[in-house]
Amino acid sequence: MANLNIKSKQDRTYQAIVIGSGISGAWAAKEFCDLGVKTLMLERGRNVEHIKDYPTTNMLPYEFPHRGQIPEDIKKENPVISRCYAFREDAMHFFVKDTEHPYVQEKPFDWIRGYQVGGKSLLWARQVQRWSDFDFEGPARDGFAVDWPIRYKDIAPWYSHVEKFAGVSGNRDGIPHLPDGEFLPGYELNVVEKHFAEQLKKHYGNDRHMISARCAHINGNLDFYAQQGRAKCQNRNLCQRGCPFGGYFSSNSSTIPWALKTGNLTLRSDSVVHSIIYDEEKGKATGVRIIDRLTKEMEEFYADVIFVNAAALNTNAILLNSTSNRFPNGLGNDNGLLGKYVAFHNYRARVSGEYEGHSEYTTSGGRPTSGYFPRFRNVYKQETDFLRGYAAGFSASRGAGADTSGVGMDLKNSLLNPDQYGPWRVGSHMMGETIPKESNYVALDPNLKDEWGMPLLKISVDYDDNDEKMVKDYIEQMTEMFTKAGFTHIRSSDSKQAPGLDIHEMGGVRMGKDPKTSLLNAHHQLHAVPNVYVTDGASMTSTATQNPSLTYMAFAARAAHHAVAESKK
Amino acid sequence: MNRRHALRHIALISGGLALIPSCDFGKEDILTAYDKLQITPSLKKLLASISDTIIPAGEIKGALDLEVHDFILVMVNDCFNEENQKKFSQGLQSFSSYIKESSGKAFDQLTTKEKEAMVLETAQLKGDDSEEGRTKESIAYFVNTAKRFTIQGYMASEYIQTEVVPYSLIPGEYNGAVLISDLQKPRVNG
Repeated sequence: MANLNIKSKQDRTYQAIVIGSGISGAWAAKEFCDLGVKTLMLERGRNVEHIKDYPTTNMLPYEFPHRGQIPEDIKKENPVISRCYAFREDAMHFFVKDTEHPYVQEKPFDWIRGYQVGGKSLLWARQVQRWSDFDFEGPARDGFAVDWPIRYKDIAPWYSHVEKFAGVSGNRDGIPHLPDGEFLPGYELNVVEKHFAEQLKKHYGNDRHMISARCAHINGNLDFYAQQGRAKCQNRNLCQRGCPFGGYFSSNSSTIPWALKTGNLTLRSDSVVHSIIYDEEKGKATGVRIIDRLTKEMEEFYADVIFVNAAALNTNAILLNSTSNRFPNGLGNDNGLLGKYVAFHNYRARVSGEYEGHSEYTTSGGRPTSGYFPRFRNVYKQETDFLRGYAAGFSASRGAGADTSGVGMDLKNSLLNPDQYGPWRVGSHMMGETIPKESNYVALDPNLKDEWGMPLLKISVDYDDNDEKMVKDYIEQMTEMFTKAGFTHIRSSDSKQAPGLDIHEMGGVRMGKDPKTSLLNAHHQLHAVPNVYVTDGASMTSTATQNPSLTYMAFAARAAHHAVAESKK
Repeated sequence: MNRRHALRHIALISGGLALIPSCDFGKEDILTAYDKLQITPSLKKLLASISDTIIPAGEIKGALDLEVHDFILVMVNDCFNEENQKKFSQGLQSFSSYIKESSGKAFDQLTTKEKEAMVLETAQLKGDDSEEGRTKESIAYFVNTAKRFTIQGYMASEYIQTEVVPYSLIPGEYNGAVLISDLQKPRVNG
């Protein structure tokens, strides 16, 4: 019997355990496997295999009974996920429905989740802009949160490392606060987007830019990506269904199959992580307790090093639930700050308009990205009555429409031969930096539990005065820029959407130099438990304005190499 | 399985032709495939006729050939909230009496031209707070909804997207400055 137990324990022992198979977890696993580390990757949801498990990927519009729309009874039962732009008939099977995994909203928070192998990497918007020191130095310069323990030079080589492998298309724009990277050929801006970029240059000098957004799509170096079984992006714009070409980067198409090929990866799906096991005698973490999603049985796995990449808020939940005599308030939580200083991106406002110029042109074909307007506010020095700033998405579009005013043969012929060109439509949405605050936090509900006996996460996150001022400034400034560019019928809106719908929630396990005021050190190790690393959104000290996934990928790769180097000491 | 059950089963899998007795309309049964709407076979037939007026058959098939009225009912039944379902059903039910009152004939007895004129007219009806006004409003709501879904159901049908204007999952490389005057598309005659 004793022998059996030893054997069983050996069978459940690995060199590294990675919790989560989303964009950051799978990067950590891939690096470990490339370095010869026997790795167990745990995923709470079902398995999703590249291509095989993309049931809608090649479906034609008429094959969807509601042509993409979500039926009313599903919307009614699941109001939160129904507010997500990508929750449509073709991709609804990749999103968590409200009814499946409840949580407690102390303040309104739209928590958008993807519980499956690959996580939200199947569903992301694939925008990958680098941070610069204007972002890393933000908290120290402006006196909020704590100073980042790292700078651009620490992460730049890892940006390059992940960009080359993932495949990032973009142009070398030479903007100091949006550093260039390892780019495949970029995508073209259309004639009106170029017009807007030129107008910005004319009216604002070199302060305001409109560029083709860098995106994680393959647009060159095809032989290299063929080694991953991936091919050139076909401009289908059906990414949320999973791409049969592997044209965009996801864990499913890239890092997971790559790691599996090394023979070093064990992928265990349907494993809801309960907690990390802390050994008080050894003074370190020794493994992970999981509850099998289907059998509901508890099981333990062991490793020398543990990476927590469960997605920002769930990483917080796991650490909070990992209690011991040494850590009664959650693993590594000596200062009581675990779960606090949560932040996100402010996506509330939009500005749209029309352009009568370039009326002889339209566009054809497709492209996987659009325009990007990097932050210009408070970059070099504080110049407004709010801290930090915002980036914005921008696009112009035009297509042939049909006159639908009639009925009968007139209507039919008009529909079949669309030739009505209205003005160009232009639109922009803000992506504002929010300031992490102690009062924006997540915690475990003391009473409510889910189907697996796990405490429900309680979320208490809200906007503040800085965010309100930023919304106002974005609307004013973008309206002014649209006006100067000759756009007309300019309209602005503030959706007042709840935090969370931006799907950029961050923090709670922030990095910092001082164990008294942060949870993680410069290498993403818990100050108090150095063999536990957090390299997903939970580790973010501040949010900047860039879409964060690229930074998580670089963090994960960098930390995995650090962990391996440490183990060899 | 007795005969009645067997018939019902066949009807269900054949798409909405099951007839379940209902007291709401006394004489006529309600179609169970659209469980949130009060749709009788004759109302469904009327809707079919309206959709066929909106997009008739000609050199190529029309809305009736593609059973677009079924798509309309599925969309209203599955994707509308209760209030709008009610408005749609009321409008559909009031449509024929409105036609009778203003033309003296049933919709099906009108000529094609007359039918088209009636659809255009009813789409423009304006409502007010009176009972008659509310009825007019629901008729206009129904006709505009039917038109919108006729267009969507017809254009996004397998027939149109494979045989008439083939849909491509792969749209090709992006060109951000195409001269409209250079575009040459063969004209499709409806």
